[in-house]
Amino acid sequence: MTEFLDTFLDDYFAECDEHLTAVRRTLLALESSVGQPRPDPAVTEELFRAFHSLKGIAGMVEHREIELLAHEMETYLRAVREGDVRLTTAGVDTLIDAARLLEHAIAARRNRQPPVDVESLVLELRQIAPAGDSAPGAVAVAPPTDAGSWQCLFTPSAELIARGVNVDMVRARLRAVGEIVSAAPVVGEGGGIAFRFVFQGEPAAADVEAWRADGMVCSRVEQETVPAAVPAVPADRGASTLSSGHYVRVDLARLDDLMRMIGDLVIRRARLGDAVARVESHVPSSDWRAIQENTSALERQLRELRDGVMRVRLVPVGEIFRRVPFVVRDLARETGKRVAVDISGQTTEIDKFLVERMLDPVLHVVRNAVSHGLETVEERVAAGKAPEGTITLAASAAGEIVTIQIADDGRGIDVDRVIARARVAGLPVPAHVDEAALLELISSPGFSTRDASDRVSGRGFGMAVVRTTVQDLGGSMRLASAPGQGTRFTFELPLTLAITDALLARVGTQTFAVPQAAVREVIELDAASIQALEGGEIIQYRAAPAPVVRLSGVLGIPVPAAQERLHAFVVGAGAGAVVLVVDRIVGQREIVVRSTSDPLIRVDGIAGATDLGDGRAVLILDAVALARHARGGWGAAPRVRETA
Amino acid sequence: MNQILIVDDSPTIRRMVKASLAALSGGCEFVEAASGLEAIERLAIGPVELMVLDLNMPDMHGLEVLGFVRSHSKYRQVPVIILTTRGDEASRVAALEAGATAYMTKPFAPGSLATKARELLEAAAP
Repeated sequence: MTEFLDTFLDDYFAECDEHLTAVRRTLLALESSVGQPRPDPAVTEELFRAFHSLKGIAGMVEHREIELLAHEMETYLRAVREGDVRLTTAGVDTLIDAARLLEHAIAARRNRQPPVDVESLVLELRQIAPAGDSAPGAVAVAPPTDAGSWQCLFTPSAELIARGVNVDMVRARLRAVGEIVSAAPVVGEGGGIAFRFVFQGEPAAADVEAWRADGMVCSRVEQETVPAAVPAVPADRGASTLSSGHYVRVDLARLDDLMRMIGDLVIRRARLGDAVARVESHVPSSDWRAIQENTSALERQLRELRDGVMRVRLVPVGEIFRRVPFVVRDLARETGKRVAVDISGQTTEIDKFLVERMLDPVLHVVRNAVSHGLETVEERVAAGKAPEGTITLAASAAGEIVTIQIADDGRGIDVDRVIARARVAGLPVPAHVDEAALLELISSPGFSTRDASDRVSGRGFGMAVVRTTVQDLGGSMRLASAPGQGTRFTFELPLTLAITDALLARVGTQTFAVPQAAVREVIELDAASIQALEGGEIIQYRAAPAPVVRLSGVLGIPVPAAQERLHAFVVGAGAGAVVLVVDRIVGQREIVVRSTSDPLIRVDGIAGATDLGDGRAVLILDAVALARHARGGWGAAPRVRETA
Repeated sequence: MNQILIVDDSPTIRRMVKASLAALSGGCEFVEAASGLEAIERLAIGPVELMVLDLNMPDMHGLEVLGFVRSHSKYRQVPVIILTTRGDEASRVAALEAGATAYMTKPFAPGSLATKARELLEAAAP
């Protein structure tokens, strides 16, 4: 039996994750139903189903403690659903505690740790739920009123299914034009099976006509009764009824392999491109054109393949955001503050790997925002603000960069207090502390904001770890803070790792790659326009002085003769712009990033290495870190300041 | 070749059922459905010799699926094994009254499910 079960463990844990995600999403919705005689049936039903499924699969793999806990949660929810028990705040709290324990118990099993003890929560759940099994699960739903609505009769066939037209697709189409009231099988003419959907909405005449070819016959429902052969099915329940039949679960490691193989292909194609270019003069032009056309088609298709695989790896940022209301809710209770959470852009997609790595940093910043950023109700009222503080989370994507913002409307960072603490911790404090320097101070490894009231924020995960994580992922971080108005952290992350577009630049005899996402602008400048200033160099960029960094100087590369015209990358914007000067920018290429994560060979300013296809390794520069160098030495804040 | 329709919203359970029944003599072809409506759609388009049916599913309860199957002259004879999560004791009576051929609970032993399936397939064979 054990061997039989072991082969299903991966599936099991993946399915557990899905249910836990649904539980997290729905539990908070349930909270708003507290006190009502019958909470929103769609919400209780979804939760009930998640616990029920968890119980079923946990039982199969003999994870008894998970089965038991899920069973008790299911029992309580059934009682709530049936109206036997009124939903209370205490009940929701117990459910939330139990959900957390459930998550913990599953994680323990996954990590091959001993089973978690669930007894005390099981007892708690038993106390709030009435004893005994209640009626079997069929949900009693009032018969739908059909007046003023539409019906759609769908007759499935093998031919339609081969074209992808099935009952799930019909449902999706109808859901797009209205709200489905009921869906039930009926026996059609001649004994065949059909489905009758009743929905409220106004389908376009053109759609109704086009659907006819797909076996869907839509008509307005006059006063008429539903065929009585089969009881009507509970109303459509939105995303929860999404069939899992059309999805495939894939181990992330397999996608990594795929990405690596594509990376090898990209390098191989670049090599081919170079070889093709070399033989141009030896081949008749008509032949050469054919080769050329094929290699460029190959390049295009390879890019599409790469994008396709990348898209498979993308998941909505909402996976992180969903956790936030839980964290905020607990902290608000512990600190006695009133907090609203405003989330937007949760459908923005980002690489699965990045989502996993960013979860803790985002939660950490949110915890900080609630426990340090937001004031107490009294303080807010005294300051003339709304008693309820707001934590805003937003995500958006532009090109290959995903931006995540976490803001609060609290008191802002107390600069003097940070400086005092930094001094106590023995950190160097610059004469003028702007927002970039502030971020640098609070995310220094030696800086701890821990005093008695801060315990909740810490959890062994400081701003220093946040910064390191963001940098490891090739991202950057900004801070904006205003006294009395609030604090905003902005993370900018690459959409995905591994393969990226880069600009190639020459310095002396060396070639370097600079990921395009970090570069705001490429400029050409006169060597003579560079002015010396206080031991550094500046140029006028967009009517403001911007510091100049010569890569030859930073990297210690001898430059044979001074050039008159130079190329440069502009990194950062507004007052934070830094100009990185190279000899020449020689091209643009898709590169495969091999990160230098080995701490022994890791250098700030070098993001990794790549192979351009000619067999030579080329270093990838971390333009943001190099720009940081210009503004205040190594290890300073990655991104300089908020756009002016 | 036996056509077996497996109806369960959990992909893990569907895989486990398939693995349990894969060794049935005479060979099996599996048709899967993740919801009640899907199950009935699969029935509509191809013959099925045995159905393994979960009760608690989205959009249509297993008992409703069973009720429909038993009310339809063409499918009335199809043996249906209800395979549901335990702890729902009253549902056993309801399922048998609604026409279930067999009632088994999850967690199930792969061997007993296979034995029951073989029994039902043999009994139904001409």
